[in-house]
Amino acid sequence: MKQTSEVLFNDKRLGFFLYLVVEAIMFATLFATYILYTPSPRGADPTEVYELRTVVLTSVFLLSSSGTLLIAESGLGNWNRLKIWIGLGTTFLLGSIFMGLEVHEFYKYWSEGYTLTMNNFLASFYVLVGLHASHVAFGLVWMILLMVQFKQTMPKSLFIEKHKIFNYYWHFVDVIWVLIILIVYAPYLL
Amino acid sequence: MYVPFVGEVPSDIVVAWIVSILLGAALLWWMTTRKKWPLVWDYITTTDNRKIGTMYILLAMVFFIRGGIDAMFIRTQLAIPENDFWVFQSQKYNEVFTTHGTVMIFFVAMPLLIGLMNIAVPLQLGANDLAFPYLNSISFWLFVSGGIIFNMAFFFNAAPNAGWTSYAPLATDTFTTGPNNNYYIFGLQVSGLGTIFTAINMIVTIIRLRAPGMKMTRMPLFSWATLVTSFLILIAFPVLTVALLLLMFDRIYGTSFFLGEYGDPVYWQHLFWIFGHPEVYILILPAFGIFSDVISTFSRKRVYGYTSMVIAIALIGLLGFMVWAHHMFTVGLGALANSIFAITTMLIAVPTGIKVFNWLFTMRKGVVRITTPMLFSLGFIPTFVIGGVTGVMLAVAAADYQYHDSYFVVAHFHYTMIGGTILGAFAGIYYWYPKMTGKMLDEKLGKWHFWLFIIGFHLTFMPQHFAGLNGMPRRVYTYTWEDGVFLLNFVSTIGAFLMGASMLIVLLNLYKTHRLTDPVGADPWDGRTLEWTVGSPAPEHPFQPIPKINSIDAYWYSKVERKKLPESEEPRPSPIAIQTVAPVLLAGVLIVMSIGFIYGWVWIQVMGGIAALGFFIYRVFNDERKAVYRKEEES
Repeated sequence: MKQTSEVLFNDKRLGFFLYLVVEAIMFATLFATYILYTPSPRGADPTEVYELRTVVLTSVFLLSSSGTLLIAESGLGNWNRLKIWIGLGTTFLLGSIFMGLEVHEFYKYWSEGYTLTMNNFLASFYVLVGLHASHVAFGLVWMILLMVQFKQTMPKSLFIEKHKIFNYYWHFVDVIWVLIILIVYAPYLL
Repeated sequence: MYVPFVGEVPSDIVVAWIVSILLGAALLWWMTTRKKWPLVWDYITTTDNRKIGTMYILLAMVFFIRGGIDAMFIRTQLAIPENDFWVFQSQKYNEVFTTHGTVMIFFVAMPLLIGLMNIAVPLQLGANDLAFPYLNSISFWLFVSGGIIFNMAFFFNAAPNAGWTSYAPLATDTFTTGPNNNYYIFGLQVSGLGTIFTAINMIVTIIRLRAPGMKMTRMPLFSWATLVTSFLILIAFPVLTVALLLLMFDRIYGTSFFLGEYGDPVYWQHLFWIFGHPEVYILILPAFGIFSDVISTFSRKRVYGYTSMVIAIALIGLLGFMVWAHHMFTVGLGALANSIFAITTMLIAVPTGIKVFNWLFTMRKGVVRITTPMLFSLGFIPTFVIGGVTGVMLAVAAADYQYHDSYFVVAHFHYTMIGGTILGAFAGIYYWYPKMTGKMLDEKLGKWHFWLFIIGFHLTFMPQHFAGLNGMPRRVYTYTWEDGVFLLNFVSTIGAFLMGASMLIVLLNLYKTHRLTDPVGADPWDGRTLEWTVGSPAPEHPFQPIPKINSIDAYWYSKVERKKLPESEEPRPSPIAIQTVAPVLLAGVLIVMSIGFIYGWVWIQVMGGIAALGFFIYRVFNDERKAVYRKEEES
């Protein structure tokens, strides 16, 4: 007979995947909005706003954080606490750097006069990339909570469950970032 | 009307405040003297699917009264030409039809169906609860929270006024200033989130929690309809979420997605109807499921063409995503787009027709019992067919230029929404009432309710077809004697009041049932599906042991063969139920935060946001799985 924790985890995983479908549709709609309104007839053009250096830097940090999370995942398999610490810690660090760069990017654009209300290209850019950034921020808080729970005594199976659900989330957020590179930045930087 | 300290306030709002305070006080007094508080507390903190389902229906009924009173105001104002009833002209009339539509769709039809799903689906599958009981409680309280946000707008003289579709650019802050349509955005956003969580919960329950032997191909049709509906919610509601998000940016942060020289009002229409058209199938498919189960039970026959019924539900669900632009024929999308959407729209009539014939064939040579739920089902078939026929008429894109925005459209969608969803919800409530409360609603009063309601319904909406064909546009608060639609409107108003009167019979029925009748047993209707094997009302953790299923309508055949249903040896573990007050608190926090956004009070937004985040943290450290997993690890 299957363990209770295993069955309940499978329930939760299916439920969370369905939730990611919901998120995917929300992002898809925002991508559509962006494609529809970019470039705008008036106001700033994406080619004058974006900078290749920022995009490369942010991408390097966020995409590699998906890799470092794999270290933690492999640590879950054989319950290697050190691996989990290293994996979670570096992922958190890389994610935080991404977050800092992202805030800086927004701040820079804004101070150069490229504000939310300038035109619909910028409006849809800020809403789409901003929603992604808020997902990263939520993920960072989530990681802190995971680490606190890892220090506490809690059932191993429950921690593994929570960690795995977080992994799906983080990888999903990364996939969205790849799409943002391809759809939002690449057409106007290459 | 002048109110001291407040200023000039429309008199209907003053009356509403007084009535609400009096009713609220009476309710509090009654609950206190009858010592109902422990019961209320039990329901507030529960995660049990039956109790949550019952609360959904109870609250939907409260909103039904509100939306119904709005309808009465509309009909009274329109009863005679050039009428000036109370305050319901121009801007006030806009508010009243907006709240009527929005409340009826989002806070009546949806929760009625979701409530019935909560009660019946786990029981039909042989599951002990929904897959995520805690999340279910969150869903319910998000719905409550959204309902309160939307409905309190009226009490602060700020009811939304851009129609239930909230079309841009009217709904942007350039044309409707004030907080009115912010209430619309946040009410729908919060309750929509709850609906999305319910859909996830239902899908996981149906895919993973069925009793052993209950294959997908053996599920009752209501469960099938719930599954397809949940997928529709999963795909349609996120689009609404984003549409509302963009509208919020337009209204609050000064972007111009939907207006001005940069924006595009038609984009709002696309987003809204990509959500909105699947939404009407979200409302109708569960009703189809209810009718299938009810007709089968009261014909003492297996449902005719089970496989084709399932395929038809799935097809309707699929086609539902390819027809949204038929709401926009007159926008000017071009002949090709209009033709394609006209054809896909007409195609939906095919699976729907299959279902109608299957219901008729289910009754053929059956032993038909005319009970109240059956009566509602029988009333549904011709009513819905009329709605379907006018639907195909509207689907003819060229002809739609005549029908568009006229009372013909109003008549059409009331024939489908009331004739389908509301009759279905009534059938379901009468049918599953024993599972909710342990008592049977009175059959005689039930039949009175049915006849008054259906006669009132046809009196109200049949003439509106002709008013529309004679050129009466929707959403206008008056017309002249020369327009020649007085008689049609007058009959319509009489019908509306008949429908209203029929609802009083429901109240009488509730009183009579609970004061004067005895509890009933597990299987009062001689049912066919698993919900009739457990006690009435359904206990928490109803299936002990979990039965083993070997056919469609397994319970019926076990009764025919005079054998008990076999028990399964190794059932899967059940979801974990708890008592928790956290979801209610979250609902409260979200109301406060929404008010912060509606009125632009930044500090309240920040505090609400922090409190909502705090809820996540609380949740992380108070996981009900902890104890269960620990026990498992120790053993």
